[in-house]
Amino acid sequence: MAKILLINPTVREEDVPRHVPYGIALLAAIAMEKGHLVQVYDENAWRQGDETTKAVCVADDWDIIGYGGITTTYASVKRIARIAREYAPQAVQVMGGGLLTSLPREMMSWIPQVDVGCVGEGFITFPEICDMVDRGGREFWDIKGTVSRKPGGGLIMSQMRPLMHDLDSLPFPAWELFPLEEVYFKNSQVLFSEEGMLASRRLDINTSYGCSLICRFCYHLGIAGDMRYEEDENGDLNVAFDQPGTYTRSIRYHSPEYVGALVKHAYDKFNINFIGFLDENLMTMDKFSGRTWMNDICNQWHDLGFAPKANDDGTWTGIHWAGTSHATLCTKEVLKTMREAGCSHLVYGYESFAPHVLKTIGKGATRESNLRSFFWTLEAGIRPVPNQIIGFPNEDFDSIRMNMHAWDDLGIQVKPHFATPYPGSEWFTTYRERISGQYDGDMERFILDLGDASSISAVISHNFNAVELLGLREAMLQLNYRRIDEYEQIWRKNHQIPDGAPSTLLSENMTGAFLRDADKVKSAIKDSERQDAVAETTGAASTH
Amino acid sequence: MSNDVLRGNFQTRDKVEIKQSEETLEDRFEMEAKKRLGGSIAFVSKKKVMWDTDKK
Repeated sequence: MAKILLINPTVREEDVPRHVPYGIALLAAIAMEKGHLVQVYDENAWRQGDETTKAVCVADDWDIIGYGGITTTYASVKRIARIAREYAPQAVQVMGGGLLTSLPREMMSWIPQVDVGCVGEGFITFPEICDMVDRGGREFWDIKGTVSRKPGGGLIMSQMRPLMHDLDSLPFPAWELFPLEEVYFKNSQVLFSEEGMLASRRLDINTSYGCSLICRFCYHLGIAGDMRYEEDENGDLNVAFDQPGTYTRSIRYHSPEYVGALVKHAYDKFNINFIGFLDENLMTMDKFSGRTWMNDICNQWHDLGFAPKANDDGTWTGIHWAGTSHATLCTKEVLKTMREAGCSHLVYGYESFAPHVLKTIGKGATRESNLRSFFWTLEAGIRPVPNQIIGFPNEDFDSIRMNMHAWDDLGIQVKPHFATPYPGSEWFTTYRERISGQYDGDMERFILDLGDASSISAVISHNFNAVELLGLREAMLQLNYRRIDEYEQIWRKNHQIPDGAPSTLLSENMTGAFLRDADKVKSAIKDSERQDAVAETTGAASTH
Repeated sequence: MSNDVLRGNFQTRDKVEIKQSEETLEDRFEMEAKKRLGGSIAFVSKKKVMWDTDKK
């Protein structure tokens, strides 16, 4: 059996660690189920510095050291790879996650210590790599879903790994290998609702994969059917994701019975009192299932006795929970059902309240559906978490003022994110040259600069530069319409745009391209009485 | 609770223990002050001070 060390890289150092890495916890469970010897070093949780990472690397004779994560773990992953090569030179280094998947060839080039990358979903690929290493093999190109190094130099991408269909065959995540008591439960609080604020033993679960929508700033990690393999300009195989006019999706979700059993396991073993659903978009699954999935999960909550009950002293028993919703896909009925089962808050990517911006972002939401879902959610007794973004390609002074008015009218307290073209998103593909130009052609610098989009990195707005966006956001937070009006006059003068004309530099061709695809999403959502409508329109396939 | 930072399904050859946090009063102060940075809340991060002023 292979001796495997999995390392969870450090991310968001400015904050405390809040989330057990679900993917690593699943891979650890899968590898153990296959009989391998597994240890986890949660560097992000412990934050013990390089000396401890070095000590971990020499603590045993590792056959495999695996690491990976989201794009913003890049700096940490690069450091771990260097340490691992120096202190555990015998170990095969395996990298995976959204970070590797979005740019497999670049990552293998920027991090030369990686022996094999796991492209896309690792549930089958990773254990196959472990088995091969255990047998003494190193022909990773024989395993689907890998990128590895040719013996004579260069990279080989093997065939694409199909997505796993029988999700319920997955074991439960190996939460016990992470410092729950020492770190994670202390950071259980989620400041999105009263119940979230009082959470003291929270775990997160992921119960579905995929999203039917085509938000152009979204990256679906290559596990939502969003990834294709194509030959690049050099004739080499490479990954491709959403592109204007080309969208593919696969909608997969666990059965409500699996979800119930998973939560029961978390409760029985760890005595949790709050669950965070990590799912990309719970409402996609609900619609896809013909409006049964969410209802059945809520029934599981009731049947297992987890639906919260209020105590006289203001506290409650049971397990509250929270997740993600969608303005157009949610219904008044499902929100009510969710609240009765203990849902405390739902994250809505409203992004903007400006109709002309919403039309271009591929979200399938309108100002009206944003407002409707906002009130439905409040009426159901759930707190909506109204995420906002500024700096979209066609952001202009009108959209900025529309957002401010909406925040003012709706009591929204928000500091918006900046539209950020994460690798793997459509806007990364569309704006790649523009992004590269902002980092002197050094794409690695861009990756290192990426955070959680609350700070600014590459700008994709056609109308505003980074400094303008930072200033505008500050004025928006203060609802300072006067300053914004004043700056608009300066901006118009600088760009020779007369009063009365739209305050935009975006070409009509580009706006038209965005609007064409937006109509596609809109018609899919309107036609959603049939549960497979979204799949047909976006080329998605459903699996359950 | 274990003192070992490694958690798994077997005993490793060497144990790697948690280093106890060495947070100083200075660290704590700077972290708390940073949370409220702005307006009249300003402070000097002593670890970042360039002491060799002649070079400037």
